[in-house]
Amino acid sequence: MFELYALGALEPAEKSEIEAHLARDCDNCRRALSAALALNAGVFTLVPTLKPRGRLKRRLLTSVGVHYPGWGWVWAVGAVCLLLVAAWLGVEERSRTYELADARRALIESNSERDRLTQALQFLSDPATRPASFGRGQTAPPRGYVFLHPQMGVLLIASNLPAAGVGKTYEMWVIPKGGAPQPAGLFQSDGMRALHILSGPVDVAAIGTVAVTIEPAAGSSAPTMPIIIAAPVGS
Amino acid sequence: MLLLRLLPAGLAFAILQVALRLTDDADLVRRLKAREPRAMNDLYDRYGRLAYSLICRIVRNTSTAEDLVQETFLRVWNRVQSFDAERGALGAWVLTVARNRAIDHLRSVDGRMEAGAIELDHLERPGLFAKLDSAALAMDRVRRLKSAFEKLTPAQRQVIELAYYEGMSQTEMAERLKQPLGTVKTWTRSALKILRDELAEAAIA
Repeated sequence: MFELYALGALEPAEKSEIEAHLARDCDNCRRALSAALALNAGVFTLVPTLKPRGRLKRRLLTSVGVHYPGWGWVWAVGAVCLLLVAAWLGVEERSRTYELADARRALIESNSERDRLTQALQFLSDPATRPASFGRGQTAPPRGYVFLHPQMGVLLIASNLPAAGVGKTYEMWVIPKGGAPQPAGLFQSDGMRALHILSGPVDVAAIGTVAVTIEPAAGSSAPTMPIIIAAPVGS
Repeated sequence: MLLLRLLPAGLAFAILQVALRLTDDADLVRRLKAREPRAMNDLYDRYGRLAYSLICRIVRNTSTAEDLVQETFLRVWNRVQSFDAERGALGAWVLTVARNRAIDHLRSVDGRMEAGAIELDHLERPGLFAKLDSAALAMDRVRRLKSAFEKLTPAQRQVIELAYYEGMSQTEMAERLKQPLGTVKTWTRSALKILRDELAEAAIA
């Protein structure tokens, strides 16, 4: 019954008996005890095998002062990678947003330009349009044409027209015969050419001159001298 | 090595296995004594799962089992200086400490055998494991033991489980099983004899 003795499962009387034997330094008893301990250890292994959680090892090693890296570094590297990917995606997204906005702006400008050209073409092709020219005979003046149409309004086509300058704009004026100049819209030149349309019905017979001046970016209610273009409209 | 060539392959393999394990355990004990940082890691890798499985079987609670595994390995770490690196059976000692920690916990929960803690402490002294059959946990022995355990009758198996995994004395078993003490002693004695005989045969083979 050395096995039960080694398990601490003997009754006091039996336990005392075995201890008395062991105290006599009996070789047989010592061998029997060793065999019992070996048998017990073998029986301890007969239980179903279970896997402890990883944190148990970390806890144990920490408790004896051993640094245990475990898999924490994997999480750290993963977190850094995720941050980098998130930052990269953020930059990409921002860049794409800017590109999209630029493309949208270019499309709007292109559509606007196409509409203006279509409008100008309609202007020019209509038999009711009356032309007037300006700038002829001057050394380096802006040159071009003004077309007037009773329903469509006034079309100005100018060449050799420099850019208005920073904070400035061109403003067209319709000057009735014997009347004060009326503002007819703001426009810019691309450095060489400009095209501007005042849409809407106009009294062609009452218009004496179509003029252009350089004004502050917000425009003016009265022309600022000098007059850059003056196209007299014949009767 | 010449001797190994003359032996049957199975026996040669078993001898080699035991020799390697012994060398490993002896070296591990030396490193534990020298407080090498990796030694505790290796001890846990070698016996951690076995100790955890045994303690879980006894206390049937994973959280308590984790606490007791930690207690087991700390106890081994603190007492390894008096363990015989050359002749001791490290695995048997670790498992005995694990089992005793778990039984001690069970007894403290049940409120039985207050003095039992001192007794169990006495039965896991490193010196007791010095002359142990160092192949106590060899695969072949464990396999034979398992097969012998399966040959036990249900009553024999029950008393073995109550003694090993619940730490009961034969009187307590008799009360639990509502059987005469003499009957329980007969079952226990016969069960242990079957297991012992199987291991003796393994040693001869």
